[in-house]
Amino acid sequence: MTHTSLLGNLIELIEVLDADFAIDLEKRKQRDRGIGRKLQRYRNKPATQIRVWLQEINPATARNNALRGTRLYHALCLGLVIAGLLTGWGLASTVLFYDGNQPINIVNAVVVLVLPQILLLLVWLVSALPMRLPLLSNIGTTLGFLNPGRLAGHLAGLFGEQETRGLATLWGPDNVAILSASARWLFSFWSQLFAFSFNIGALVAAFFLVSFSDLAFVWSTTLDISNATFHQLITTLSTPWSSFFPDAVPGSELIANSRYYRLEEGSLAGAAIPSPQLAIDLGQWWPFLIAAITCYGLLPRLLTLGISWSRFRHHLRKALCNLPGAPELLARMNSPLVTTLAVQSEETGEITADNTAAGPDATRYAVRCQIVDWSGACTRPDEITIQLGTMGIEVLKFLRAGGRMTTEQDQELAASLCRRKPEGVGIMVRAWEPPLLDFLDFVRDIRRQCGRGKPVIVLLRGEQDGVSEADRNTWQLTLARLGDPDLHVEAIGQTT
Amino acid sequence: MTVPVFAIVGHPNKGKSSIVSTLSQDESVAISPIPGTTVENRRYPMTVDAEILYELIDTPGFQRARAALEWMRSHTGSAVERAATVRRFVEEHQDDPLFSAECRLLAPILEGAGILYVVDGSRAFGEDYEAEMEILRWTGQPSLALINMIGASDYSDDWQQALGQYFRIVRVFDAMTADFDRRVQLLLAFGEIREEWRSALETAVRILREEQSRRRMLAARVIAELLARMITHVQRRRLAPDKPMDTVREVLLQTYKQDLASMEQRCRDEVEQIYNHRDLERHEPRVQLLDADLFSRQTWLLFGLTRQQLIATGALGGAAAGSMIDLAVHGMSLLLGSGLGAVAGGVSAWLTSDRIANIKVPGHSLGGKELRIGPMRNINLPYVVLGRALLHQRMVEERTHAYRGPLELAPRPEQLHLADATIRRQFEKLFSRLRKQEAWRDDLVTSLANLIETRLRTATSH
Repeated sequence: MTHTSLLGNLIELIEVLDADFAIDLEKRKQRDRGIGRKLQRYRNKPATQIRVWLQEINPATARNNALRGTRLYHALCLGLVIAGLLTGWGLASTVLFYDGNQPINIVNAVVVLVLPQILLLLVWLVSALPMRLPLLSNIGTTLGFLNPGRLAGHLAGLFGEQETRGLATLWGPDNVAILSASARWLFSFWSQLFAFSFNIGALVAAFFLVSFSDLAFVWSTTLDISNATFHQLITTLSTPWSSFFPDAVPGSELIANSRYYRLEEGSLAGAAIPSPQLAIDLGQWWPFLIAAITCYGLLPRLLTLGISWSRFRHHLRKALCNLPGAPELLARMNSPLVTTLAVQSEETGEITADNTAAGPDATRYAVRCQIVDWSGACTRPDEITIQLGTMGIEVLKFLRAGGRMTTEQDQELAASLCRRKPEGVGIMVRAWEPPLLDFLDFVRDIRRQCGRGKPVIVLLRGEQDGVSEADRNTWQLTLARLGDPDLHVEAIGQTT
Repeated sequence: MTVPVFAIVGHPNKGKSSIVSTLSQDESVAISPIPGTTVENRRYPMTVDAEILYELIDTPGFQRARAALEWMRSHTGSAVERAATVRRFVEEHQDDPLFSAECRLLAPILEGAGILYVVDGSRAFGEDYEAEMEILRWTGQPSLALINMIGASDYSDDWQQALGQYFRIVRVFDAMTADFDRRVQLLLAFGEIREEWRSALETAVRILREEQSRRRMLAARVIAELLARMITHVQRRRLAPDKPMDTVREVLLQTYKQDLASMEQRCRDEVEQIYNHRDLERHEPRVQLLDADLFSRQTWLLFGLTRQQLIATGALGGAAAGSMIDLAVHGMSLLLGSGLGAVAGGVSAWLTSDRIANIKVPGHSLGGKELRIGPMRNINLPYVVLGRALLHQRMVEERTHAYRGPLELAPRPEQLHLADATIRRQFEKLFSRLRKQEAWRDDLVTSLANLIETRLRTATSH
């Protein structure tokens, strides 16, 4: 299985897929299919498959950035835990401050330590809802500033670019369509982590004060609320724990005794009770306070923390499979590798042309010569005779070579042709057919038999549209291999 | 079962390498007008996870066929000995530079490869082909002749007559323009020359079809990712107190545009790689259509929504927003909310059609102000990008690997616009959710990819 965290894997994957683009797709296909075949047991677990794939390719740079990103994430988590603990401790210590003069109003303590948490929990619920309705979306955005998770986002901005690069990809502008859900739950997780730590801090502070000092709780109100009504209210609030923690449910006697009036120096409804007993009685509110913080603060936050954590991981997993390039990666791993490409690189024949050969072509000749019709190239001799005449070539006779003639017949033809000491030799070929070695053999034979100095003119015959420049170049370049300065290439008719 | 092997043989420069390049989808095959470019046999196996289904062998062209045939004729007695004579010829001339091409091209045939004899059907038949065909007949191996239409002229009837005397099966095939279906049809035709090869080739064709469909899905995914990235892209710059806002704004807008343009370029590269095109020349006058600036007026006119489509699309979004009011009052507004929303949306779409994205100056989290551009608010631009991407994908998919010129396709106007209002509505729904950066369902890109894939499939089938 994998060693790094989901978050680290996601950061790593973003970098790897980005860098992967520079690698040729065929190589990627081979690499990924190779790994994919080993990971077929994870075929139905795409996120796991990708994580193990990352482990297999082991990208050093991306892994370092991922580790940096994960470290920053943990640092921010730790920062939020500390901030939450300190805030909880600080607030609880302030609310539960008692110097022996003014007893602690339990109503204030509940309102400060419990009520805001219930309200913030409602805000979280609104923001956690799928925001398909614009109204809820706007509420979520407006109340976003209350989210302590945002603090972590801002704190991250205080670190260097290199440190934040990995983690910041989650809320950066790239891939927002895919990563914003992960980012949202990350902020939610941070937020709940802060809130959970806050409650722990508040509870620890409360326990500390209860354990190492004497606290006196009272309740006080200007409203016309009877003891019975207040008792009813407190009992309702205590419902969640009343069955298994009855000591944390204040009784009617305690409520009656701890009602407080601030008139003059302050007086208690139960002032008739002897002082030490009263001090003990007034301290009996603490189990209720602890239970209220635990039940309405700590436990719901533990639940939302768990939900946020699991949603964050869920979206990280989804993002792993949906990042640009990730579905393609999965397809490469899980689809058969189909290749039709050559297995080895190609060796091509290079033509080294002697620049002195086959040119420059004469524009006007003054030769009388026999024309060799190579492989049936001369289909209309009369027409061609006239055309050659305009080039200064007087045709004495047409002779056949190549094609259905044998090589022996070709050699005899070359010998008899040269015995007559011609002024030159014309060889008519079909321009669109490439010059084969078979033809070059014949040209060499003519030169050998006729000797140097005699012009040998290769006459290119085109089709209706004339001789193409490409065909002419092909012939010139190929014949240049012979290195014969008296070998010329001429197109009959127009060159197109 | 033996793996079908086919030797592509013939006269030089008649498109052997082009056919191999098209069938193997390999653009590394050297194609040159100079005869003798191919000097060695080169193998192109079709493999599926390293298992070979068939193999093509590109061979050098015949160079001295007449002389080779003369040797064979002088060394054989009866027709029974012909195949053995060809074998003897190859054995005896293995190291003879005179018959190097003939020995190389005959070797795989003597090892059992089927013969695919290639000629150029756009050029007249010549008698110098007869010796080549005769030698191939002497080998006694199963064979098929391919008339490759390289040029505009058509001599295929003459060739059919001539080739029919030497080969049982003759097919016409244009290696430069053959689409995927023609390519697989040709592969299936190879199965006709030997019965025992048919099944392997049918399997190969099935796998190639699956691969083609996978490629299309991948291309659609890449295009969807491009659109998602473009629509949601944001550029930010912190404002220095001493710098004028207009200068920063202009620089930021240019950077934003460059970002979008490079995203588009990258998408094109990826799509080309998916189809094994690695070195496509795109900077040619004939592909101005795709080369033109993404933000040019011409591009927007060609690929973007028409005036009516733009207003209708804007109205659709406005109506959806207005319907919330109707919903809130349980329909007592007599759909006035939807109606007014539609009018407002349509007018707004028309008035803001030139604006790519909103430019805002929100406060920076660390103090001061920042200039921010994006996400894209323009209704039209995603359609411009989509139109260009769809056209490019089609050009790449239809292009054969033998064709080495620039990307070339003359699009008809109806190919560029999303004419179907239903499809446009489906796209607009997804675009609008991306614009709002609504990512609560992160299968948004997948939905977009599926829609694009359907569009690509439909376009291809048409």
